[in-house]
Amino acid sequence: MRCGFLCRFLWLWPYLFYAEAAPIQKVQDDTKTLIKTIVTRINDISHTRSVSSRQRVTGLDFIPGLHPILSLSRMDQTLAIYQQILTSLPSGNVLQISNDLENLRDLLHLLASSNSCPFPRTRSLKTLEGLDDALEASLYSTEVVVLSRLQGSLQDMLQQLDFSPGC
Amino acid sequence: FIYVITAFNLAYPSTPWRFKLFCMPPNTTYDFLLPAGIPKNTSNLNGYYEPLLEAKFNSSGTYYSNLTSKTTFHCCIWSEENENCSVQADNIEGKAFVSTVNSLVFQQIGANWNIQCWMKEDLELFICYIEPLFNSSFKNYDLKVHLLYVLPEVLAESPLVPQKGSFQLVQCNCSAHKCCECHVSVPAAKLNCTLSMYLKITSGGVVFQSPLMSVQPITIVKPDPPLGLHMEITDSGDLKISWSSSTLVPFQLQYEVKYSENSTSMREADEIVSATSLLIDSVLPGSSYEVQVRGKRLDGPGIWSDWSNPLIFTTQDVIYFPPKILTSVGSNVSFHCIYKNGNKIVSSKNIVWWMNLAEKIPESQYNIVGDRVSKVTLPSLNATRLRGKFAYDAVYCCKEHECHHRYAELYVVDVNINILCETDGYLTKMTCRWSTKAIQSLAGSTLQLRYHRSSLYCSDVPSIHTTSEPKDCHLQRDGFYECIFQPIFLLSGYTMWIRINHSLGSLDSPPTCVVPDSMVKPLPPSSVKAEITAKIGLLKISWKKPIFPENNLQFQIRYGLNGKEIQWKMYEVYDAKSKSVSLPVPDLCAVYVAQVRCKRLDGLGYWSNWSTPAYTVVMDVKVPIKGPEFWRIIHEDSTKKERNVTLLWKPLMKNDSLCRVRRYVVKHHTARNGTWSEDVGNHTKFTFQWTEQTHTVTVLAVNSIGASFANFNLTLSWPMSKVNIVQSLNAYPLNSSCVILSWMLSLSDYNLIYFILEWKILNEDNEIKWRKIPSSVKRYYIHDHFIPIEKYQFSLYPIFMEGVGKPKIINSFTQDDIEKHQADAGLYVIVPIIISSLTLLLGALLILHQRMKKLFWDDVPNPKNCSWAQGLNFQKPETFEHLFIKHTESVTFGPLLLEPETISEDISVDTSWKNKDEKVQTALVPLLLATADLEKGSICINDQRNSASFSEAGSTKITCEDEGRRQPSVKYATLLCNSKSSAIDDEQGLINSSVSKCFSSKNSPSKDSLSNSSWEIETQTFFMLSDQHPNIISPHLTFSEELDKLLTLEGNFSEENNDEKSVYYLGVTSMKKESSVFLTDESGVLCPFPAHCLFTDIRILQDSCSHLVENNFNLGTSGQKTFVSYMPQFQTCSIQTQKIMENKMCDLT
Repeated sequence: MRCGFLCRFLWLWPYLFYAEAAPIQKVQDDTKTLIKTIVTRINDISHTRSVSSRQRVTGLDFIPGLHPILSLSRMDQTLAIYQQILTSLPSGNVLQISNDLENLRDLLHLLASSNSCPFPRTRSLKTLEGLDDALEASLYSTEVVVLSRLQGSLQDMLQQLDFSPGC
Repeated sequence: FIYVITAFNLAYPSTPWRFKLFCMPPNTTYDFLLPAGIPKNTSNLNGYYEPLLEAKFNSSGTYYSNLTSKTTFHCCIWSEENENCSVQADNIEGKAFVSTVNSLVFQQIGANWNIQCWMKEDLELFICYIEPLFNSSFKNYDLKVHLLYVLPEVLAESPLVPQKGSFQLVQCNCSAHKCCECHVSVPAAKLNCTLSMYLKITSGGVVFQSPLMSVQPITIVKPDPPLGLHMEITDSGDLKISWSSSTLVPFQLQYEVKYSENSTSMREADEIVSATSLLIDSVLPGSSYEVQVRGKRLDGPGIWSDWSNPLIFTTQDVIYFPPKILTSVGSNVSFHCIYKNGNKIVSSKNIVWWMNLAEKIPESQYNIVGDRVSKVTLPSLNATRLRGKFAYDAVYCCKEHECHHRYAELYVVDVNINILCETDGYLTKMTCRWSTKAIQSLAGSTLQLRYHRSSLYCSDVPSIHTTSEPKDCHLQRDGFYECIFQPIFLLSGYTMWIRINHSLGSLDSPPTCVVPDSMVKPLPPSSVKAEITAKIGLLKISWKKPIFPENNLQFQIRYGLNGKEIQWKMYEVYDAKSKSVSLPVPDLCAVYVAQVRCKRLDGLGYWSNWSTPAYTVVMDVKVPIKGPEFWRIIHEDSTKKERNVTLLWKPLMKNDSLCRVRRYVVKHHTARNGTWSEDVGNHTKFTFQWTEQTHTVTVLAVNSIGASFANFNLTLSWPMSKVNIVQSLNAYPLNSSCVILSWMLSLSDYNLIYFILEWKILNEDNEIKWRKIPSSVKRYYIHDHFIPIEKYQFSLYPIFMEGVGKPKIINSFTQDDIEKHQADAGLYVIVPIIISSLTLLLGALLILHQRMKKLFWDDVPNPKNCSWAQGLNFQKPETFEHLFIKHTESVTFGPLLLEPETISEDISVDTSWKNKDEKVQTALVPLLLATADLEKGSICINDQRNSASFSEAGSTKITCEDEGRRQPSVKYATLLCNSKSSAIDDEQGLINSSVSKCFSSKNSPSKDSLSNSSWEIETQTFFMLSDQHPNIISPHLTFSEELDKLLTLEGNFSEENNDEKSVYYLGVTSMKKESSVFLTDESGVLCPFPAHCLFTDIRILQDSCSHLVENNFNLGTSGQKTFVSYMPQFQTCSIQTQKIMENKMCDLT
């Protein structure tokens, strides 16, 4: 018990340090700007523009859906899944987006720390069920859908950030 | 029976690895009963903490020739510490006996081996090394060594004797030297288990079997020899021996250091330490030290490693420590020195320090460390300057004024390397650049950029992290290294520094931390457009922001007139949402170029590149600012009481027309006709008739937007033209390009608006120049190209609200004339000479003239010889009609050879003549030759002293017919007309038209006119008809009513008529001395014919010219003069004739 508390304190120490160093307003601004940047990056990928939003793609249930994300920890978990999927994609375009998600998750942690509700960082997830099959059989669909849903999720997060989401 | 001798360890507690294995034949041993091949009671090495680490058997073998096969030797274990050999003998029945035998017995009669067994440092391999030491005869047999071992699964505190079948056999590798090595892999989990083993050595059919031994592998670990042995002299003058410890062994080691000092006296020592270094005090200059180190487990059993390779360290007579220092700029370093002079060490108090043998280091920087060691500290070091090939500073340790040649080397490197990073506009790549110029002097060094990435942002004070990564950088042509991070973490902090690796050490530049997001150089704005807004007249520049970054941006705009060297003007926009800006520009009708760039509004990052330039297009922006300034030239026609006014203006400039004038419109306003407009088009001149008292005109400029609002008015007023307010006007030439005009004004009740200054070259109707001058100006500088030899006329017009006033006109420079007279004193000498010369010439001409006159008049032919004059009484002529009637009756008309053209000339005809000596009154009459109407030419002359008429339909016809062509004769008629016009009405129109052509003062008011005198003198007209080319010349000669007026008005010939065709002399068929020709120089219509021309030469031209008509003017001022019967002849010549004539004339002259 004691070890767990100590470990958690040590784990959060860097974030507390950064939270003190970086003004919270700057962190919030950077978070929003980074979300906009990722959204623009996805828009800038040519083959994602022409995808119809009306068409629903099935069989990719491992990709998070477009549900409202109301808490910072939930945002972090969702982004972690997206990051894992993007890292698995062989396309070079998404590598930069994966890095951006890494930064975005760090910013969410900072925001949570500033709200005095730090949460542990989502560790590496287990292999998503169906990801390997999807990557092998339907790479294009996977990339298009994951980017599309990520874009929607980010825009949803952007709106939520204006309302000071909870932990 | 097989006899097995088993070693027993209980006899060697202290150094149990120092065992000897002695073996001897069975008949010489003690008989023991052992179990079948397997000793039951094995030696338990674990019972002692002094482990059995090595079994070393020093055996001396004896060859026994009578041994049979399968003979088994009894062996025992012997160590140096215990000379008694423990022997365990097993018999077949399995009973064992343990006995102790003096080892000397085995040494004398048995065989022996050197055997070492240990665990390697990696704790994975158990090794036994066997070295046979048999007699030479015994070595001839093959040696086979097998190690049999048991490694139980379970750790037993008291191991049991393993069964025979449980042993595993390992064959040992034997080399040519009969040395064998046995390897047994020991799992890490069984390091603490008891390994039971025995050796079975077969050689020459003899089997040597060692006693059963047991050992825990962890207790016999033998480390590798220490590495990295190093010796250096410490700051305190001690010799520090250091080495590196092994990282593989799981326990701490102890080390044994063996060193020797070879100086004036030999010194050896052997010390055991637990640290990885050892200090040897009082290092001596001029000595050499040899050191070796080995290690062993510090706590618990273990085996000493082998000795490391010996390291020799030699000290010089002067010891610098450290001998070389590599450091960075600004740091503090210290050198120590021990100075041995001869055999005596110099006291540290007497040591002084020098730098580069050039400057003594201040003593305040010295420090005494003991009696022998001196220390100097060099603070705040500057970068080492390259001295030829030497890239270091030499630090000398000296004794007063004596320095040893050895020195310490100090390398100071400027490691303040700036690392500049820039993130691209797509936020995917960060490029970092750094220069190597500051560290070029350090040869043999390598540079490396190392970085550490933090998850978010940078810390306030960047520091060098122990965990860093290198980054590949590539040297560019500009001497910069370039490192590219791609992809990047936008908000992570990249702490970077440059590591300089050198043989003397490594240096790190001060670390710098950058966040890629704050180093963005955005893409330039796109879709930049520039235009001049219509009707508003502002330069509007619009753009689109780049897609990245998402931060708010500020914009910078530069714009200027397009050209080779653009003078840029800057404008900054701090509104991130702005997409365009409108700027005032002075010239709305010029091409502007504009560029835009952007940067983050918070100031982070860099300015983007300038966008591609955008250019404006010149187009109409507004209605013209103003209409053109204009002036007028008035042509007065006093006869019709009309004035034609020509308005002049310059094309409107772009700045005023905004930007292109399509047309001009002249707007009139008079009291009677009101207001009306006339479209002038693009012309800059317009003429209209000024008929009313007051006429106001305005010139408007019109472009595609509309007409100008502010326009200039000019009121032409008859009454105002007499208002004179300019009292005086003076012109002073400064030089050929500038003239000053000044004037004085008188008081006036009229509202003076401005002046118009007009100037031109006097007597030339070339370009009139004018300027508008404000009314307040009293002096004005005209900048123009003035020709000094010309006279200029300057006119100053006051312009009132009510109209144009009376101008003040001057025709010369005021001051210039005075100066010219004063300056040109030479003229007073030259002018009289010229005048006298001219007088003499004139006199000569007069004399010549009189003589020629006499000569010519003597040769005047008798008119009676003319055919048409046959029967006429010239002494008493009746009337003109009679004269010609008679003539026409006898003369037939020939074909008219005159070309269809009009020749007009002034002639004077004496109204009456009776004889050649009688004076007759003459008048000037235009001679009109209308060749188109000359098929039947007629001349009508009214001789009523005041009138003469030429009638085409008249009955009086003059015909000159060559009756006898073979007889050269001159037939002529003399027409004498009065200047009064005739009363024949039907001829009037023709005459009028002819007169209007010839004497139109409007068309040629002043050019090439006959001089006044030419019209005042009496003139005579002669028609000389060639007998060889008889033609009828019947010009219409009449007098219009206008003639007198024209004559009184000093009418001139029109230039056009004069220039269209020249009149030439065709020649005289039989001139001889009968006829003479006089030409007036003033007559522009006549070819000047030199008086000295010979008529014989002129005759040549008869063939080419069909007619010759000449107008002869006799100089004179009086209206009456003695008439000379003479017939001048005129005719137009063809071009060829004209050329021939000209050539001939030149020959004549």
